[in-house]
Amino acid sequence: MTILAKALRSTAALAIVAAASGAAFAEEYTITVWSGGTGDDSHYRVDAIEMAADLLEREAAVRGEELDITVEKQVWSGWDDFKQAVTLAAESGTAPNIIVSGHEDIGPWSQAGILRPIEDYVDFDAWPLNQLYDNLVDVSSYDGLIWGVPQDAESRPFFMSKAHLAEIGYSEDEIDALPGKIQSGEYTLYDMLDDVKTMQDEGVVEAGMGFAPRVNNGTDYWQFYQSFGGEMVDEETGKLVFDKQALTDMYQFFADAVEMGVTPATYLGGDWDVWHGNVAADAYGAWHGGTWHKSQWERQFGVDDFFGQMTFSLIPAGNENGEANTITHPLVYLISTTGSDDEAAISAELVAIASEPRINSLHAVESGHLAIGSAQADVPLYANDRWTTEATEQLLPYANPIPNNADFGIFWDAMYQGLEAAWTGTSSVEDAVNQAQSAVESGLGDGIIIR
Amino acid sequence: MIVSNTTSAERGIRSSALTRSTEPATDTVRAARKGRARTSPLGLVMLAPALALLVAFFFAPVVLTTIFSFTNMTSATGISGGAYVITPNLLRDLEWQGMAPEAAQSLSGETISVDEAALERAAAAGVDPDFLEEIEDELLGDEFDDARSFERELKTLPSRPRRVRDLKLAAEPFSQSILNTRFATRDEAATAIASIAPDLSAEDRNTVLSAAYTGWVWTTDNFERLATTPETARLITNTALYVGFTLSLFNVGLGLFLAIAIFYMPKTSGTIFSVLWLLPRITPVVLYTVMWKWFTWDDGFLPVVAENLGLPAFNYMKGSVPTAWATIVSLNGFIGASFGMILFSGALRAIPQQQLWASEVDGASRWQQVRRIILPQLRWPILFVTCYQSLSLLSSYEQIWLTTNGGPGNTTNVWALEAFRVALSNYTGNLQYGYGAAMALVLVVAGLALSIIFLRLFRFNELVEKPKIEF
Repeated sequence: MTILAKALRSTAALAIVAAASGAAFAEEYTITVWSGGTGDDSHYRVDAIEMAADLLEREAAVRGEELDITVEKQVWSGWDDFKQAVTLAAESGTAPNIIVSGHEDIGPWSQAGILRPIEDYVDFDAWPLNQLYDNLVDVSSYDGLIWGVPQDAESRPFFMSKAHLAEIGYSEDEIDALPGKIQSGEYTLYDMLDDVKTMQDEGVVEAGMGFAPRVNNGTDYWQFYQSFGGEMVDEETGKLVFDKQALTDMYQFFADAVEMGVTPATYLGGDWDVWHGNVAADAYGAWHGGTWHKSQWERQFGVDDFFGQMTFSLIPAGNENGEANTITHPLVYLISTTGSDDEAAISAELVAIASEPRINSLHAVESGHLAIGSAQADVPLYANDRWTTEATEQLLPYANPIPNNADFGIFWDAMYQGLEAAWTGTSSVEDAVNQAQSAVESGLGDGIIIR
Repeated sequence: MIVSNTTSAERGIRSSALTRSTEPATDTVRAARKGRARTSPLGLVMLAPALALLVAFFFAPVVLTTIFSFTNMTSATGISGGAYVITPNLLRDLEWQGMAPEAAQSLSGETISVDEAALERAAAAGVDPDFLEEIEDELLGDEFDDARSFERELKTLPSRPRRVRDLKLAAEPFSQSILNTRFATRDEAATAIASIAPDLSAEDRNTVLSAAYTGWVWTTDNFERLATTPETARLITNTALYVGFTLSLFNVGLGLFLAIAIFYMPKTSGTIFSVLWLLPRITPVVLYTVMWKWFTWDDGFLPVVAENLGLPAFNYMKGSVPTAWATIVSLNGFIGASFGMILFSGALRAIPQQQLWASEVDGASRWQQVRRIILPQLRWPILFVTCYQSLSLLSSYEQIWLTTNGGPGNTTNVWALEAFRVALSNYTGNLQYGYGAAMALVLVVAGLALSIIFLRLFRFNELVEKPKIEF
């Protein structure tokens, strides 16, 4: 018997066995999904993919096809370990099929060849992707391609204690008018410092508890750079912008806050739970956080009258150069180059289904995030939630994202290191800015415009 | 004498040789007497596992670190090599750097033409003939500015593929754009450029190709950056302080104190005492650091005690620079102290008791015994602990990472922790493998240099030379 004949025989035999069992037509996929920065309140980031798999299987069954999808989920509560895991797994060819990460990772990861552009697999003209907010789709795009589907949106409001404002002489009307004054630039960051200093002097809050910014590195600090007129990226050239004056003013603001005694010099690197506990206990005068913190405060830290306890607004302007602002940092579903093209296509379809307004609203409302698409306003769960609605109306229109740029991480690291140095007083503000400048110059060369 | 000085490996060789015949053994002895090297294939075989481990866990990492440190590898360039990708951003940057706009635009052509050639390419790519027929009927001769508008037209045709992915694959042969295509080699990219922009000058083509490479390149920038950034000086100072304080106060100072204290204690209580001091070393590092958090945190043991005593009570681990330093030095020190304690205890037992008895007869106090008899005879163990522990502290970062994480405000950051953060773990996910490797290489070189200095300073040769008298 020739080799060919043998091969034909065995193929035929296999085909008969497969046909008899009916398994030949069952498509089986195992799709892995990894998500960073995901806690107890945001499990729908990965659970939505599982729900989508169930729907896709049912749709296939209706068409008379057999589709069997196993979703393997893994979440990380922080970002450091998650990004390390993704990048190292990608190097060894074992990255997950679906990655849920910050949109700023699109730049470096697409350059490294870790990602497939999701627009090659899904139709942004069709439901449910056609109702996504355009600005969020733009945030998920880089180099002329749409790489990801927005998973959530948020903004990072500024909060002040209503009770403590009243205790230093604010009337109820004045408290209600404060967000408007902040938005117009009438009430600045330095006015806030004066108010919280008064709170401390009058014994309303303890010393060093007047102003409680974010305890560690995060997108939030770019808001203060913007408050002093800083631009992260030059619109015309698309290059990163190192605005020396804005950075100096921003560092000076935090150094002044330390000098006034409203925030400790050793504040950065503190503990999140302590911070949440103090917010819930109304121990701070002013602070800033994320829209999603509301659900944490209510579920884990016992805040029962959120709207009665605190005001929320944009981050105030720092001086006449800047404006009140807030940053949105959408997470995106990304498809990796791991696995076959078919697996990528299934993964992308799951992502599209997971972006259905009803499914996404489960995540948005439970975790205090904002809608990714206009249709969510018609989903009762979302529409009837006071916080998501108010935050969507009052904050989201003024929110801007951080840039998608492969080099932004270097700028970010330098900005934060300089901030730490100025804040703790290990360097003067001027030295800290110079240090940050030399770090971006040596790291990025011509890739950044120094202003 | 020869027998007493052979190493266990050599003894192994000889005993196995003896089982075969006495002749080779005699040869070996003779060879040794003549000063020739005594080697046997079996010896090499027995050494092989150790050599393999040494190569795998020391030489290979050092070689790789050296290679990485001379590259600009990051999470964006990847480790395993790059591709050639011409992107809209790249063309804009090139234009910004002075490339003629026409040259850049000639590469950015994204126009899609539905012509015979395109239909042939699509047929060759296996696109469904019915669908192709419809495209030919409806769209032949049409031009589209981008893929998206072409796909929108395709979606109106009845025989279109139902899966989005299949529709996109069917549309691909119609586009001749090279934008965002990953070419594996420079030649492939050059060919593609030549086909779409035949008039591009060789110089421009080379500029585009070099800029289009997404992978890493060789560079010495990492070392220049280390030499010029002010952060370097601060990290060196912090590292020196960390190693210096931990070593002098705890690894040697406390270790010595404990060993001498145990030496003078009754045997049973001494044993219990020394076991207690071993706890920090045998406790898993994560558990140990969590215990330190409970110990120093806001409502932890120390602040609560301090509050009751009317002393300043706050988060000692992160609340102030001096207490953060005290925390990292002592939590590392308590681990290291037990190492010194065990070594010094062993060395203390080797001191002839008669010397101590004689000193007591002469009326020496405990302090005089320690100063005149014990310390001079502990010189070697002290030097060994200093040498060994300073190298180990130099490269340690995990306890700092798990507690202060370099804070407050980067004030307790040390070289090894910064190298780890830069290369492998940071909030922005901007992992700079090349720069981090350069930092690690500096650490390896500093460690080797220190080893050589210690060996010279402490006259290691004298320590290991043959005894002057035979035992």
